[in-house]
Amino acid sequence: MDVKKDREKILLEDLTLLESYLRDLFFFLPIPVCLVSSIGIILEVNLAFEEISGYKIEEAIGKPIEALFIKEEIKEILKETFEKGFVKEREINFFTKDKRKILVSVSTKLRKSEEGEIIGYFISFFDLSNIKKIESELQNKLEELNKAKETEMILRIREMAKAKDVERKVEELEKARKALMNILEDIEEAKKKAEEEKNKTLAIVENFVDGLLIFDKDRRLVSMNPQAEIFLKLKKEEIIGKSIEDLKEIPEFKKIFEIVGLEIEPCFREELKMEENLILEVTSLPILLEKEKIGNLIILHDITREKYIDQLKTEFVSLAAHQLRTPLSGIKWSLKMILDEDLGPVPEGLKDFLKKALLSNERLIHLVNDLLDVTRIEEGKFLYKLEEKDVVKIVENVFNSYLDLAKEKNIEFKLEKLKDDFPLIKVDEEKIKLVIQNLIENALIYTLPKGKVTVTIDLQNGNFFFKIQDTGIGIPKEVQDRIFTKFFRASNAAKIDTEGSGLGLFVTKNIVESHGGKIWFESEEGKGTTFYFTIPVKKEEK
Amino acid sequence: MNQELTKEIVKKLMEIKGEAKGTTFKTDAEHILKEKGEEGLKRLEAELESLGCPIKYQEIKAMAFYPVGLRAISLLAIKKIFNYDDKKIEEMGFLATKRSLIVKLFVRYFLSVQRVFSKEAPLLWEQHYTIGELIPVELNEEKKYAILRLKDFDVHPILCCYLGGYFCGIVQMIIKSPQINFEERKCTFRGDEYHEYLLKWT
Repeated sequence: MDVKKDREKILLEDLTLLESYLRDLFFFLPIPVCLVSSIGIILEVNLAFEEISGYKIEEAIGKPIEALFIKEEIKEILKETFEKGFVKEREINFFTKDKRKILVSVSTKLRKSEEGEIIGYFISFFDLSNIKKIESELQNKLEELNKAKETEMILRIREMAKAKDVERKVEELEKARKALMNILEDIEEAKKKAEEEKNKTLAIVENFVDGLLIFDKDRRLVSMNPQAEIFLKLKKEEIIGKSIEDLKEIPEFKKIFEIVGLEIEPCFREELKMEENLILEVTSLPILLEKEKIGNLIILHDITREKYIDQLKTEFVSLAAHQLRTPLSGIKWSLKMILDEDLGPVPEGLKDFLKKALLSNERLIHLVNDLLDVTRIEEGKFLYKLEEKDVVKIVENVFNSYLDLAKEKNIEFKLEKLKDDFPLIKVDEEKIKLVIQNLIENALIYTLPKGKVTVTIDLQNGNFFFKIQDTGIGIPKEVQDRIFTKFFRASNAAKIDTEGSGLGLFVTKNIVESHGGKIWFESEEGKGTTFYFTIPVKKEEK
Repeated sequence: MNQELTKEIVKKLMEIKGEAKGTTFKTDAEHILKEKGEEGLKRLEAELESLGCPIKYQEIKAMAFYPVGLRAISLLAIKKIFNYDDKKIEEMGFLATKRSLIVKLFVRYFLSVQRVFSKEAPLLWEQHYTIGELIPVELNEEKKYAILRLKDFDVHPILCCYLGGYFCGIVQMIIKSPQINFEERKCTFRGDEYHEYLLKWT
């Protein structure tokens, strides 16, 4: 019995010591700890809990645990505790007795019986308010620091940006400077080139064999070359910059303006006799810059020598023709007398030869006459004996003289008079007759059989109007501008008539123009040609 | 119940058979220490000594058994010295549950009202006292009341208040209620066969 009692006593003492130990340990714990029943009622708390919560231990025991926390928050933690057995360091809001809310870090641990039955759980929590306060202060400090840094950074960035901006601008300026330098260099080069070009042009102009007069758009003389000075016998220093109004008073310029007009109209190779030994060809053309007229150029080309050679040639041809005509006439009459057997009978075999010789002689005489006409025209001696004549009658006579030829060639040949009454016109009858002959002859020669030649006469705008239309071979387009020049014959015409001299239309044109009239034509190769000429009804005698 | 605590009464009480666990005295001491400090406790011990019943509370072992009459003597001495009324004694009982080692050991079984009421309460009683029987009579959770019957425990009326508070303290640890009251509907000191407590909560 005594042994049992002693054991019980020892056990009791052990229990007491253990209880004391646990109590001391529990109350010593600096961390607030709660023991909570499985149904959520606080069963035990320690002193640290008393300190943090403001509840006395006796007040806390028996309180529902959710009374100390935000329900939803603690519910979540407890749910996890029951599921996992524990929760570690979860931040949660805790309410003190005086309703202060403090942030705590909560940890839980589930308690189970030996049978595995949940009998409650421990909750410990750690006051984070000071830490949070310090954290918040630190955060604030950090934010302040960051802000300061940020401000400093912003300032630095701005400064850097500024510096960069300045750097960029400097770079841009440098680029712009380089670009400008390049442009300047280009301009300098272009200027140099332009200068070179100008010098070249000036050299060309200065040394040009033709005289050049350059006017600006206000018709002021802005430049002239030495050759022009020579032609005009003027020093450019005296006249450069003068307007056309001033220049027209100078006799040399007056002659030029008589050709080109005071508006400096375009003209091409107009002949101008400046003096006895100086004949110029005047050409005027506008100076255009991208379709805008910026001035005028007058080119004075010296043709004195050509004219002199022409004159010598004409004189030679005239002399030769005159010299040839007399013996040719002698030959003609001699042959005629032989053929007429005035000198005795001619054997039949010889007659044919003589006829051919007579015909060739006739042609030679005709050619000589043409040449004489040309030389007269060129010498200005082709003067007319102008008398009032019935031109209609002249036309009819010539027309009638070709009826046989037309019939022979089987050409429909007609004369149409569009007026009943025609006035008498002052003309050189012989020359006009020659004009009409040339035109009718050409039409009949170059119209093939079964073709048609129609002569029409009329009065139009105070002019005698003559038209001859054929269905002949026509004049090729590419030679139409040369048709009135001396000795020219179109290739298709030469094939048909090998004996033409190429002087007919040259003479014709000169005669018409000498009468103050005009001559022109329309033609299409293979279809036919129409020639027109007019002669003024009232014309002053030249 | 303002019975004068005299040596005769002490003697009479000490003659009552039965024992109480040391923890019940520990909770008394703890209460006085908290309310009156060391000085208060010394005064209490001096009073008890003067009554010929020297108790050294610090030396009491929580799990050891002491004469059940000493429970009434301790409370009566406290009441006398500190001029406690019944309400204060009731409060002591209430707060004792929060401090009792036995209760702490028992809380592992505080899993439901029903279990504590019907199973653990009688056992808990047995852990505290060697005399008397605590009988669960009725529990109505819906209507929020419970009836407990205490038989064969006629130590001193001061314990009626104390135990009423104690029962309320236990109820508070198993029911989430801010307000718990008791009514001792029957009392052996009032001529009843047993003590019967009606415990109500809101």
